[in-house]
Amino acid sequence: MLSRARLRVLAFCAVMLVATAARPALARIKLTTLPERQRVEIQLDNANATLIEEERIVTLLKGTNQIDFSWSNTAIDKDTILFRVVDMPTRNKKADDPASLVRPDGKVETIRVINVAYPPNENALVWEVYSEEPAAARVRISYLIANLQRSFDYRAVSEQDEKKLVLRKYIRLDNFSGEEFGASGIWAGFGNYFQRQVGMNEAKQMLIWKFADVPIKKTYTFDWWKGRTVPDEPDQRYVEMRYVLTNDEKHNMGKFPLQYGKARIFQKDGRGGEAFIGEDWGQFTPIDDEMKLYLGLARDIVVKRKVMKNQRQNVQGNLFHSEIVLEYSMENFKPDDVTLDISEDMLQLREQLCGHKDHDPEWEVTAEGTTLGKEQVERKDARTLLLHVPLKGAPKGQGEVKGVTASVHLWLRNEW
Amino acid sequence: MRTYKTLLALVIVAAALAFAAPVHARNIDLATVPPRESVQLTIYNSEDLTLVRETRSLSLKKGVNHIQYSWANTLIDPTSVEIRPLEKEDQIEVLDTTYPGDKPQHCIWNIDSKMEGQVRFQVTYFTSGLSWSADYVVITDPAEKEMSFDGYVQVYNNSGEEYEGAQVRLVVGVVNLVEKIQDLARRGVVPMAAPGAPAPKAAKMRAMREAVAEAEGAGFAMAARAPEIIKEGLSEYFIYTIEGTQTIQNGWSKRMLSLRARQVKFDILYRVRPHQYGPKPIRFFLLKNDEEHKLGTTPLPDGAVRTFRDNGRDGLCFLGEQSNKYVPIKEDIELNVGIDDEVVWEWTDMGSTREKFAFDYNPPQVVGWDEVHTWKEEVRNYKGKAIRVEIRHQIAGDIDLDAEMVKLYDFQTAEFTVDVAARTKLPIHYKYTSHMGRNAKQSRIRLKQGG
Repeated sequence: MLSRARLRVLAFCAVMLVATAARPALARIKLTTLPERQRVEIQLDNANATLIEEERIVTLLKGTNQIDFSWSNTAIDKDTILFRVVDMPTRNKKADDPASLVRPDGKVETIRVINVAYPPNENALVWEVYSEEPAAARVRISYLIANLQRSFDYRAVSEQDEKKLVLRKYIRLDNFSGEEFGASGIWAGFGNYFQRQVGMNEAKQMLIWKFADVPIKKTYTFDWWKGRTVPDEPDQRYVEMRYVLTNDEKHNMGKFPLQYGKARIFQKDGRGGEAFIGEDWGQFTPIDDEMKLYLGLARDIVVKRKVMKNQRQNVQGNLFHSEIVLEYSMENFKPDDVTLDISEDMLQLREQLCGHKDHDPEWEVTAEGTTLGKEQVERKDARTLLLHVPLKGAPKGQGEVKGVTASVHLWLRNEW
Repeated sequence: MRTYKTLLALVIVAAALAFAAPVHARNIDLATVPPRESVQLTIYNSEDLTLVRETRSLSLKKGVNHIQYSWANTLIDPTSVEIRPLEKEDQIEVLDTTYPGDKPQHCIWNIDSKMEGQVRFQVTYFTSGLSWSADYVVITDPAEKEMSFDGYVQVYNNSGEEYEGAQVRLVVGVVNLVEKIQDLARRGVVPMAAPGAPAPKAAKMRAMREAVAEAEGAGFAMAARAPEIIKEGLSEYFIYTIEGTQTIQNGWSKRMLSLRARQVKFDILYRVRPHQYGPKPIRFFLLKNDEEHKLGTTPLPDGAVRTFRDNGRDGLCFLGEQSNKYVPIKEDIELNVGIDDEVVWEWTDMGSTREKFAFDYNPPQVVGWDEVHTWKEEVRNYKGKAIRVEIRHQIAGDIDLDAEMVKLYDFQTAEFTVDVAARTKLPIHYKYTSHMGRNAKQSRIRLKQGG
């Protein structure tokens, strides 16, 4: 029900100064009926704008009616307000009907908006509506409203073995629009549809979808150029741990893109409880793409990197190739086997070893001198080399952790 | 209740006597005020300019009549105020116009009449403060195959004057003004043009007023339906005449339907132009302002277009808003409805190799080379229907492009147009060679095949 307080915020009135052929009221003195909202829809499917649709039953007298719509303390975009009659009553066309009144189906609408007038210095407008017969018309008013915003966040609980998780996607509605919306339909364009009361200055979080049994890929990444440095260990960088969720049907997702939002990850602790293991901003993830969530450092995996060779080979004039050998020493102190991803930025490597150039690096990895198999060496793009190195878990009991050393033989070609 | 008082007054100064030498009282006037019988507003949207034409009946005596016209607190251009009789023109002559130095926003016409009695006069002038704009509301069906296309005009009155029962005409076009009406209205001191040597602007405006007069139509009140907007060509312009009369109070604006098209078919095209739209495909609704699309009766004036889709659940979904440029008849209409999360485009630079080195100097230095770049693109369509995607890449330099399905948009822009079936992915691989340093002989893309 519409409270008196709300009426001050958003008022919709059928002005009773109704007469056929009446002109718009010059004075703003009104005797009004106040049709209540029958239905409100909050459409959140556009990331940049919130559309409100409300339905009210307006009693129209035969002739010209003035319908006043006003608002205060709320930021309605005046230019976007639409007035549509739902289930428009029609009649068959008559001989003297102007062609402009006749619809493609040959019918004539019996309720017609003549014009809209906007008074000065008021958040209001007046529709002049002609009705051929007295009618109780269900009308739908649509408008864009500011400060009624959506955002998304995620909460995931992984199994103790970190093989699968349950991902819940929430929509959060922050209503600072200055208006309250009772019993409103809320639709984000995908997922669940909600019927909720949305109070003024109220935030409401709703579960938009629950993805169960989502397989997790847990990754460990060593990135010499972006990784956090380790105190007093100039050859080391910390290894970062991520959960990678693939937004496709095979991974029990892929129903819709995943919007940007904060993702908090919990893990079952085996005693019926959960432990928070990290959070990250989930980037917008289209279907079939991966959402990578950086959760924290994996300090049980220790990696050192050294440049073991940097030798120029003259080609002609000032043109040369540069032969480089990188060596990675890795130790896995975790009890589980893992695959370590090593990311090497070839542009930065070239800048370091050959100085700044205006051209892109031309690089290749040669099998000779590289201790990793072909399937472990991946050219991701023009400047990124990825290495995938399996590391055995630490032996149970007294056994020592055996380190693994991998060498990569690189050529930076045609530099000058 | 009248909120604003009428500020324009046309008075017959009582001191005007036939054949009598004028004996003016300097500070005490007795005057009759003939009411405005009709008024017509012709509002231009390219400039802050409105031509007002009003008719009033004056009761004349034989001899010279002094007619005073004042426009306090309005934005009227004093240089544009004119009066002419609409009847008995052979017996009535406007002798001169005087702008008193001590009374701003006044003028006095001396009118010589060979008859006595009531005569209808027309007063015309330019004012600023009245304006109009167009806007459009597009609603597509849930399947996005057809749309309703409604055009509106909105008239704003901030002129300081109320125009009741005015016939309103709106001019679509760009007219040239050498001085702003608002500046002329504000100036106060009116430089008089030399007799017989009208200023070019005045001549232009007079020609326009005459052209406007030719297009004039009769008005009548319409209460039972939205007023028809009658569209006519006028020189390089288009004039919209709103059927009937309108009252637009000072400070108010009024919006009326100007065109209504239903079941308008349209095409959808996704455009990938990283240099123009950024990294995501942008969706466009394409149609034409022609009869085939239930339009084409008038050019579409510049204005905001708000696009919605019927969401199939008894509601709307807002797709986007854009400012559309003027669309001549038969011209294309392109509605940018923004990004679509169900269509993904990815581009990856897979790297380059260098070859064909040129050397100069002693010891030899690299002065020219070719770079062979490998690019990989993929369009992913998660929609339930096939889509068409147009991809443009600007590549600067002396470029040889080796790709299929490609054509040149211009000398440095390659264009691919691909159809992607529902729920499928389309990979595109290609290479191009960029001639660098002294190897660069041109600045253009050359296609190795296709195109």
